[in-house]
Amino acid sequence: MAFRDRLVATIRAARPVLESPGVLVVGSEVPNLLEEGAAATLVVSLDLDIGVPVDRHAALKERLGDLREFAPSAEEPSVWTPRSAGLLELNFVGMDPAQDPAEAYVLEDDRLPLLVFGALSLVSRGAEVEIGGTRLALPRPAGLLLEKLVTDRTGEKGERDLLVGLGVLGTSAPEDLDELERLYRRLRPELRHAVRSNLTILSLLAPRSGMPDPQPRRAEVAALLRRLEEGDPEVP
Amino acid sequence: MTAAQEQRLRALRSRVLVRAFDHRQRRHARGVWFRLRRVLAFAKEAYAIPRDEAERLIGEGHRPEPVGRELEPPRVILFVPRERVARVASARRLAVRLSAEMLSAECLALVPFEAEAGAVR
Repeated sequence: MAFRDRLVATIRAARPVLESPGVLVVGSEVPNLLEEGAAATLVVSLDLDIGVPVDRHAALKERLGDLREFAPSAEEPSVWTPRSAGLLELNFVGMDPAQDPAEAYVLEDDRLPLLVFGALSLVSRGAEVEIGGTRLALPRPAGLLLEKLVTDRTGEKGERDLLVGLGVLGTSAPEDLDELERLYRRLRPELRHAVRSNLTILSLLAPRSGMPDPQPRRAEVAALLRRLEEGDPEVP
Repeated sequence: MTAAQEQRLRALRSRVLVRAFDHRQRRHARGVWFRLRRVLAFAKEAYAIPRDEAERLIGEGHRPEPVGRELEPPRVILFVPRERVARVASARRLAVRLSAEMLSAECLALVPFEAEAGAVR
């Protein structure tokens, strides 16, 4: 079964939660869904990250009973595993716009506890798309890209996450980059440094099969780095 | 909180501590890797060149990037227009990444993305 078919089938099966108010798809599947016809050609892990604003958690929980094709993992109840091999895991993560981007906390709950990642506070609701008969919300590109760049990235997964960010950069319009710059300027110095550091790592990554090739996009990365450096009091 | 969540939280907080440490080190010796990556990020192309060619380029007014002197052994890293690098017959093109080849080159000529950019600092 092609990965795209699994992704679309997962979206269809997860419709009750994906259409819950305020919920959006986050993570590495977003660039896959942004590809022409949601072509899903990037090599990513076999899960679908679902961002749940903490103030919508209660409303989402009411819909969990309709999620018949998945069951919560005993080991990690924020992960719902598919009952059939043709679907991907659902990975629920918390979003709290008031949170510090460098911190995280657990939203305790008997049924659906959530790890609330501070970097996701940079992500906000963007365009809606219809896939597999399901209306789902995607993040605004600027916030998603900044979330990828502000998060500590190490090892194979970290580098792949940066390449996912490159995929977002590739689909970003000039106004998205304006928004990214505004968001960046609001970060504290340590986080702005992390963003710039991750851009330098992204610029020097070797190509990986099934991921956006950083080499042809290095000029864009350099231009973004220079733009963020300009006027930053941290940069000598 | 589940054990898995506790573990992920702990790992995330550890990374936050390391990031803060890295940030405080940014102008010290450990920060050299960021400064080196930053210089390379602004390079469209990179070439390993012999020492005598590097000295000739310095004599022509191309200023070595300070980060080269912050490594041991020191490196000469110069931003040079592509047309000038093209006249260095022995220049050997390298992929622009932190490879063993790049790190072992004693002298590097970097072609900036913008012709007018020159040195990045």
